[in-house]
Amino acid sequence: MRILIVDDSAMMRKMVRRVFALVDLAIDEIFEAGNGAEALEVLEKNDIDVLLTDINMPVMTGTELLREISNKERWAKLRRVIISTDGSAARRDEAAGLDVRWYLEKPFSPEVIRDVLTEVA
Amino acid sequence: MSSLKLPDTLPTPDREEVFSAVADVAERSFFAMVDPCDDARFAELSEPHTDWLVATVRFEERTCAGTVSCRLPNVLADRLFDAFSGRDAEEPAPHPEEVRDLVGEFANMVCGAWLTRAANDRTFNLGKPSVGTKPVTGGVAETRTGLMVAIDDMPCQIDVRFYATQPPLASRQG
Repeated sequence: MRILIVDDSAMMRKMVRRVFALVDLAIDEIFEAGNGAEALEVLEKNDIDVLLTDINMPVMTGTELLREISNKERWAKLRRVIISTDGSAARRDEAAGLDVRWYLEKPFSPEVIRDVLTEVA
Repeated sequence: MSSLKLPDTLPTPDREEVFSAVADVAERSFFAMVDPCDDARFAELSEPHTDWLVATVRFEERTCAGTVSCRLPNVLADRLFDAFSGRDAEEPAPHPEEVRDLVGEFANMVCGAWLTRAANDRTFNLGKPSVGTKPVTGGVAETRTGLMVAIDDMPCQIDVRFYATQPPLASRQG
């Protein structure tokens, strides 16, 4: 499984990586991006299975990234997870319309990421 | 849980909702305990600390904008960093920029958690946190709520402001 973590906080990316290390899953490679535009570059060059993205980011937001992805057939099978501080019903509805099946609201415990990843895998 | 539905006029943020957001963030992601503080207790807890950081997050929506600031001593910032990153005491100390990033993420989570409680039916855009030694403001606040708490017996001050006009875009998301 190849995973892409998209968050403008290096600390958050580091924390998610740390949880991955604790999960008993077959993870082949972990990629990182600081915003949606960087994430698109990674997606163009690599076969990614799971995308975990923040919403509020500079340059290109997570919502804009997900809209770009939903327009491309080649990423139809990409599993999408949002990790955001914004847990509002309005934002969740918006995510559902962008083929996002998992929505992780910050703050979360490491166990929550583990459970979601296990389900995604 | 009660939910403050933000009207088009600017409300005063509910202190209990702000406290609940801080406690939720601190306990769930930083494994820290949060207690309310009065002025005297906060002054007592603040007395030993000379170096502080302030992280400010701007938020905006169609009808309103504001900021959430978290001010805390460097010692607490280091403590939160270790809890969040899982750093052991034997490991090298984090780079100051990493600690600032962490404090910014803490404020970001507090802001998001509070907005989710206060206006669950609205979609807000949050800016990249500004972290420094002084708070960043976007002008004269129409309404303001200040809250003092103790996180693991160290002081932390939360300040929530609504602005009649939106703060400058330039520093909102960079």
